[in-house]
Amino acid sequence: MPFAFAAAVLAAILGVITAAASQPDYAFPIFIALVVFAAVLAGVAVATSELMRESRSAAALAERRVEQLADVERRLRATVESAGVGLGTADLHGRFLQVTDRLATVLGRGREELLQTTLADLATGNDRAAVVEALALLENGDLTRWEGEINGAAGVLLVRLPNAAADEPLLLVQVADNAARRRGEALRDCTAAVRQVVVTTTTVDQAMPQVLRAFCEHLGWSAAQHWALEPDQAAMRSKHSCNASDATLEGFLHASRGVVVTEGVGLVGRVWRSGVPAAEEELSRVADYQPATAARSAGLRSAFAFPIVQAGDVAGVIELVSRDAHSPREDEVAVLANAGVEIGQFMLRAETSHALRRSEADHRAIFERSPIGIARIGTGGDLLEANPSLLHMLEHDPETMRVTAWPELMRAYDMAAAKVRKAPFLAGLGDGSSLQLRAATGSGNWLWLQLSATSIPDASGAPEHVLVMVEDVTVVRETSDRLAEALEATRDANANLEKLDQTKSEFLSIVSHEFRTALTGIQGFSELIRDGGLESDEVRAYGGYIFNDADRVNRLIGDMLDLDRMESGRMSMRTADVDINDIVMEAISRAAPAAGAVEFKSDLDPRLPIVAGDRDRLIQVLSNLVNNAVKYSPDGGTVTLASRVDGRFALISVTDTGIGIPQDEIGHVFERFRRVRSGAAQSIPGTGLGLTIVKQIVEMHGGKIWVESALGHGSSFHFTIPLAPESANALQLRHA
Amino acid sequence: MPDAYTVLVADDNEVAQRLCKRVLEKAGYSVLIAADGLQAVDIALSQRPTMILMDVAMPGIDGLEAMRRIKADVPGMPIVIASAHSMSSDRERFLAAGADDVLSKPFRLADLIAIVESLARARTA
Repeated sequence: MPFAFAAAVLAAILGVITAAASQPDYAFPIFIALVVFAAVLAGVAVATSELMRESRSAAALAERRVEQLADVERRLRATVESAGVGLGTADLHGRFLQVTDRLATVLGRGREELLQTTLADLATGNDRAAVVEALALLENGDLTRWEGEINGAAGVLLVRLPNAAADEPLLLVQVADNAARRRGEALRDCTAAVRQVVVTTTTVDQAMPQVLRAFCEHLGWSAAQHWALEPDQAAMRSKHSCNASDATLEGFLHASRGVVVTEGVGLVGRVWRSGVPAAEEELSRVADYQPATAARSAGLRSAFAFPIVQAGDVAGVIELVSRDAHSPREDEVAVLANAGVEIGQFMLRAETSHALRRSEADHRAIFERSPIGIARIGTGGDLLEANPSLLHMLEHDPETMRVTAWPELMRAYDMAAAKVRKAPFLAGLGDGSSLQLRAATGSGNWLWLQLSATSIPDASGAPEHVLVMVEDVTVVRETSDRLAEALEATRDANANLEKLDQTKSEFLSIVSHEFRTALTGIQGFSELIRDGGLESDEVRAYGGYIFNDADRVNRLIGDMLDLDRMESGRMSMRTADVDINDIVMEAISRAAPAAGAVEFKSDLDPRLPIVAGDRDRLIQVLSNLVNNAVKYSPDGGTVTLASRVDGRFALISVTDTGIGIPQDEIGHVFERFRRVRSGAAQSIPGTGLGLTIVKQIVEMHGGKIWVESALGHGSSFHFTIPLAPESANALQLRHA
Repeated sequence: MPDAYTVLVADDNEVAQRLCKRVLEKAGYSVLIAADGLQAVDIALSQRPTMILMDVAMPGIDGLEAMRRIKADVPGMPIVIASAHSMSSDRERFLAAGADDVLSKPFRLADLIAIVESLARARTA
């Protein structure tokens, strides 16, 4: 019987060899089996021939051979027992006849227990039906081998063996632990899936859900989530998640998104701190697991977390949760830890490439949409590309721009640069060529352009191309030009204002001096009179002084008011036809009584036409000039008044033979209070406003006034008054 | 003995000359008159009055220049500047130029007498 069993086992092994040849997991045991088989075969051959030839005579020898065979069987059995797969025999009904310990282990039963059961008993549900059917087919010989899986873990191979020792064939039963193989495969698949994701996606947001799904699907986790480091590096939050289970897990994932993980706290926090994977087999026993309540409600039992490692730092944590007591074995931990590193590298690449792509897109958008003209040119100055703004600004199509307009602009730059002693465009690139220049557009408009260049180096630092910014600064430039003009004008105005202010102060000082001088006599003599004790002729004389000074003050005030009205344009003129000669004679007759030794002469054009003017004002002008002439002729002399036609004007002159005006004063005689400053004339009474008023009146009539004088040789004042229109016309007729 | 005191009145304004002459003579002083700066210097140096009442705005050299020239020869000669330039800064300007006192025009007759008397008394003392 033992021999028969050994033979059966040998035959079974033969079957196993052929059946399992495609299963590399069994390579080693098969090798052993082969060796054993060869040995056994040799042994059997020797034994058989011996028995055949010396069956009767060599009983002792046979006995030895039997012992040898038993030894072989023992060794064979040991080999079979130590095989990686469970082995056994069963009858055609599936009843186990012999089993190895390994078989019992793989099937999760005791060895003795197994011998009491049938193959069909081992399977449940559909698997059982399949086994029953297979046994039926094997029994009636329709099938010699059957391969299948029972209970989702055990790979079963049944081989129908002819049994020489018995009437009935046997079934060789081989059961492999598929779960271990599966796990190995799953880990490989998982790794492959993760790699697939990181090479086919470009962003973390794209990749992470797929990666998490791979963990769930290949490794059997209920859900996975990615805890990402917050930008401030102070906390982690759930950023991506994958639910491979049912809707009840959504509550857990939702609650997780509200969790803020700090370093060292909770499963995720501990992985963050330590940088190594960690598992929790019973979440209910973990005090600081978050979100604890949601995990309990979702029926979660275990969790595993591993770090996403980026350049040696923990950049995030991936947490896997399960409703089962899922405790990853060493190989799974290794695979996941490695995935963490790969994901970290991917994230780094993704960030960099994302930043690069965005930077590229930004630059392109700036180039395309910038309101500033941008030209990309080669280091030789040739235009590579002009942005839409530049083409629009200079009104050229790209081709014209490249072939003619740009080279012209470069030449214009160099010429403009030469004028301000700057380097030509290409030579000045190093220190940032920048200049304003004038350039014509395609339609002939002239623009002020501001050019500034930036050299863009290649990887080695050598200039690769140059970006030239071209701004239309026409408006700015013209505005600033106008502003400069306006500023100039303002400066002038300010200077005038300053002068005016100074003039005003001087004027006040002079006026107050004039008033106080006049008031000195008025106040002093009136005090004398008030205090009494005076002779009557004294009182009369003092009254005269008082009257004269009061009169002077009054005239001063009158003149000042007149002047103010004229200067502010509030003086109205009563214009009428006026005979200038008539006015000249009246001025002489008014001045004569006070003229003393001065002699008057007149040289009047009797045909002088009438003028349009204000008679009273014109008398004021002439009286003033005549009075001045008399005043400044202290030693007598002659005052000559002349009139004649000068074009469309009447020209009147008042000439004296008096003291004259110093050369440096001639330009100032019409300024108010000018008199006060001059030396010899200071003793001559007057308000200092007379000539100023005269000039105003003449100019109000549309005429001009000027003076010729030499010190010691008298003065000659001339002024013009426009002829009345009809007089001028008549005059022209007369000349015609 | 006011008769011993002579006051030189230097002023281009005749009304002012007459007023000062009338008031000071009534008060017992002898009065000399100068109508401009140069005359004032002449008379001051030749006649050596006890003191001078000097206007500023005068033809030729003004009162301040006349005062400078007089003081250059006779440093102790008391000079009162009597001017219608009576803006606030003027008084300081005149004192800085060497005036012994300043009398603003127009003035009260009593002020004129008081200022002359105080200088005359100082001269006597």
